[in-house]
Amino acid sequence: MEFQSYNMPDELYYEPNHYWVRQEGDLLVMGMDDFARKLAGQIVFVQLPEEGKAIKLGKKFASVESGKWLGKVYAPVNGEIAGVNEELETNPGLINQDCYGAGWMYKIKPDDLGEVQNLLHGTEAVQKWLAAEIEKFAKGA
Amino acid sequence: MEAKYDFERKYREQILRCSRCGFCQAVCPVYGATLRPGLNARGKMLLLKEVMDGRIDLSNELIETLFQCTTCASCTHNCPSGVEVSEIIKVARKDMVDIGSCHPAFTGMHDVLLHHDNIYAEDEAEDFGRGKKATARYVFFAGCVGLYRETEATEAALGVLDKLGVDFTLIEEACCAGVLEDVGFPMNDKLVETNIERILATGAEAVITGCPYCARTLNNKMQYAPLRAKGVIIMHIAQFLKDYDLGLHTDKKVTYHDPCDLGRHCGIYEEPRQTIRKLAPNFVELPHHHADALCCGAGGGVRGAYAKNSIDMARRRLKEVEEAGAEVVLTECNSCVHNLGNAKLRKQKFTICTTTQFIHDLMEEAE
Repeated sequence: MEFQSYNMPDELYYEPNHYWVRQEGDLLVMGMDDFARKLAGQIVFVQLPEEGKAIKLGKKFASVESGKWLGKVYAPVNGEIAGVNEELETNPGLINQDCYGAGWMYKIKPDDLGEVQNLLHGTEAVQKWLAAEIEKFAKGA
Repeated sequence: MEAKYDFERKYREQILRCSRCGFCQAVCPVYGATLRPGLNARGKMLLLKEVMDGRIDLSNELIETLFQCTTCASCTHNCPSGVEVSEIIKVARKDMVDIGSCHPAFTGMHDVLLHHDNIYAEDEAEDFGRGKKATARYVFFAGCVGLYRETEATEAALGVLDKLGVDFTLIEEACCAGVLEDVGFPMNDKLVETNIERILATGAEAVITGCPYCARTLNNKMQYAPLRAKGVIIMHIAQFLKDYDLGLHTDKKVTYHDPCDLGRHCGIYEEPRQTIRKLAPNFVELPHHHADALCCGAGGGVRGAYAKNSIDMARRRLKEVEEAGAEVVLTECNSCVHNLGNAKLRKQKFTICTTTQFIHDLMEEAE
């Protein structure tokens, strides 16, 4: 789906702080969405937690930086870190280049795979949310 | 011919004194990361000489070289001709800003500080779960990085002061505003006045800062003279802690990274080491230390404006930590902790933190 110049693939699930989630077998893959990527500018640092780190739904578990901007990454589900994109350690700009592909950030082993259904999903829901976000950030929130 | 710019009026003789020997190139962290001679002090002095001779003029084309300097002062320290490069760069940046040529990151920082009290444009500072006392013997001044980025380091510093029974308070602090002058803008009087007013309101006899840059600014900038005129002493927490016998011990191999703002700029090298050696008999120096220490790459606005090069500079420093075989690298600057922490590779298993945070952790373990 393309909405107001933002590319938001339909098959993905979205965490409200602008991270996407995709199911891959028993794991979830997570990365930054196109809206956040464009807002953040050139990414210069991605915190890559150790595998096995427990994450709790809605709690911050990592950070991302671009110049003076610092973004917090919140857990989309309960679970643990199963893997990280080590390429980002020396090339965080992969997020800018390909946020849905080579710029993926984390793999998560969820406690309950069903929790992913609580995230934003589907054209209608994503469009409604994104429209509100665009308006909010246009006002300088 | 009358000089066109302030940098020439103030520093013409010094710029001409540069003998182009290249001692600065050997120690410049920006050159070390980029290998571009135009970016080291000699290159900058040559360009400014060209401007003085009328062969080129200040313009946007010089933004990359004049605004890409961490102001670490390694060049100044190593210059056999006594050229004060950091000071010259500051004035040249002001001349650039005056003609409307500035790196957008610094214009942005200036604009942010017109409407916010911190460089990150954050709306709310961490309160560390504590209120502000009306009066106290000391004010703890955390600085922007300590309030918005390295909050764990600040929390630990507050915890150490608590455990030592120090009568202190936080204030609703504003950015010390020193960085504005470094990147070519005038200091923001409103921010300065806010800080002076709030510090004096507590009746404190001294300000303890968690940030060496804030300590420099409050101690040296004439805008903060009214604070000093009231007898308020300003010190970095490393100076405050040096005489305490903390009774703590670690067997870990510990090293120390000298922050430029505390070391080369303030001459404070031994106080942190005095504290660290008491805790960690297994202390080792990095290959470059004291006045020869390598810069972490964060200063002078380079972290914000040239982040990739800034991280590369930090990685050079962290290679030295590997060479030293240290398990822990301590420093006294939240910006250094932040940049070195961002640069640390996953395979590098040493810990990076402030000395105060390390002390705090040892205190917790001992309890």
